Amino acid sequence: MKLAELQTTFQHALFDAECTEADWISESARGLSSRYRLDVYHNAYRLRLIDVLLDTFEHTAIYLGDEWFNKLAADYVQTHHSTYTNIGLYGREFPDFIAEQLADDLEVSELALMDWTLRRAFDGADSTVMTLEDLQQLASAGSSIGLQAVPTLTTCTQHFNTLDIWHAINQDETPPTVEPLPEPIELLIWRKGHSPHFRSLSKIESAAITCIRSGEMLDAIGAILEKDFPEDDVATEFGVMLHRWLDDEIISL
Amino acid sequence: MTSGFGLGLRTEHYNDFLAEPQSVDWLEVISDNYMVDGGKPLAMLDQIRANYPMAMHGVSMSIGSIKGLDTDYLAKLKKLEQRIEPMWVSDHLCWTGVHGRNMHDLLPLPYTDEALQVVKRNVEHAQEVLQRPLVLENVSSYVEYESSEMTEWEFLAEVCQATGCRLLLDLNNIYVSAFNHDFSASSFIEGIPVDSVMQFHLAGHQDNGDILVDTHDHPVCDGVWDIYRQALLRFGYVPTMIERDDKIPPLAELISELDMARAIADDVLNKKIAL
Repeated sequence: MKLAELQTTFQHALFDAECTEADWISESARGLSSRYRLDVYHNAYRLRLIDVLLDTFEHTAIYLGDEWFNKLAADYVQTHHSTYTNIGLYGREFPDFIAEQLADDLEVSELALMDWTLRRAFDGADSTVMTLEDLQQLASAGSSIGLQAVPTLTTCTQHFNTLDIWHAINQDETPPTVEPLPEPIELLIWRKGHSPHFRSLSKIESAAITCIRSGEMLDAIGAILEKDFPEDDVATEFGVMLHRWLDDEIISL
Repeated sequence: MTSGFGLGLRTEHYNDFLAEPQSVDWLEVISDNYMVDGGKPLAMLDQIRANYPMAMHGVSMSIGSIKGLDTDYLAKLKKLEQRIEPMWVSDHLCWTGVHGRNMHDLLPLPYTDEALQVVKRNVEHAQEVLQRPLVLENVSSYVEYESSEMTEWEFLAEVCQATGCRLLLDLNNIYVSAFNHDFSASSFIEGIPVDSVMQFHLAGHQDNGDILVDTHDHPVCDGVWDIYRQALLRFGYVPTMIERDDKIPPLAELISELDMARAIADDVLNKKIAL
């Protein structure tokens, strides 16, 4: 058998749900069947990828319990081949997969997306964060100020009390009963120092973050917020937000 | 050549290495774990690198892939190599997937002339990018192919001779494969060119009775220590490390195992000199 055919055949044998005999494998040593030998790789392939999912989706696994999570993970492995050299990225489509599989329990996919996003923030790109002194220097220079979010900053929307569930699991407590929220919340996720952080956003802060990510200048963000939140004291709220962003290290130079 | 006794750097031991000097001459890092954009992994790597020489050890180059090497992967590897300036860069004599899929396993090659030409081509590509000799590790295997035309050690020797690459001899992998395929570990050791070996790995495995599985979650067994003695007699002092990838014990336990390697090396090589 030529190398190209062997590699393709071997790979398909590992992808197949059932491990079978293979006439391209030698059975001359120790009297072990080709299927028995191939099964070492067949099992290892699945266990390795399920372990990665367990590691990446730690809170989701605890919430679902071992049996349910392992079943979902095994189904995901059987239907999703890795296209990544970094095995840590293998779970990228797992939150969407869970949403399809557990369409009546969408808090699970929200939890999985939160696990995934926090993990990606952990080893996301570095940047130099803006300090209050940096901002004051830019302001004193008199030019327009652009705010750039740190590369790890992202947002996700939650329609259930998923945040409370995550906190309970994180503190080894019994998660609360799932409940839909009166209205969806935006969750901000980023890395501060070496640690992933998250918090929920008010509507006005969510709008401001959207403006930053769209590349709006500082003055323009204020004007947009004034227009969209006429009932709010935007000048005060924006000032508070700016200080918090600098403290939280979500703005980069 | 750098000598001495090293350990694989694992996250569980970051604080030990940052807190105080450890009785470890150098560290091997899994390249793939640090081919990330930023954050704690790279920060820890930089801090620990300041105090320890390092070797880079990858698991995803897929040097035996008939489709050729992933140029993006090589570029990231080169970037990491420039960041930490390792003593050497190693990966495995294996393939990890084809057709854009990654099996995340070290799959064995058939030892054929065709595979030899593929590996030679890929090693030369990697060496061109890295601008240094690549170091290749022999893998544990659970299958042999009907199509193989030579032994694993003959294949490795040919690759070294043709490309100038070097070898990381994993002595546990030799032990595991020798048992699984019923060949002589001594023949493997004797078949490797003396000047081609850059590093030894010592590790543990799982004994499933009729087959050994390279789990790297056990201490080094007596049989592997015996192979280490044979390897020392043939290759002399070669940088040696304990490789533990699962069920990671406290650092002191691994250093104790490393001290055993030190003692065996001193004993074997002093006796050799005395003779």
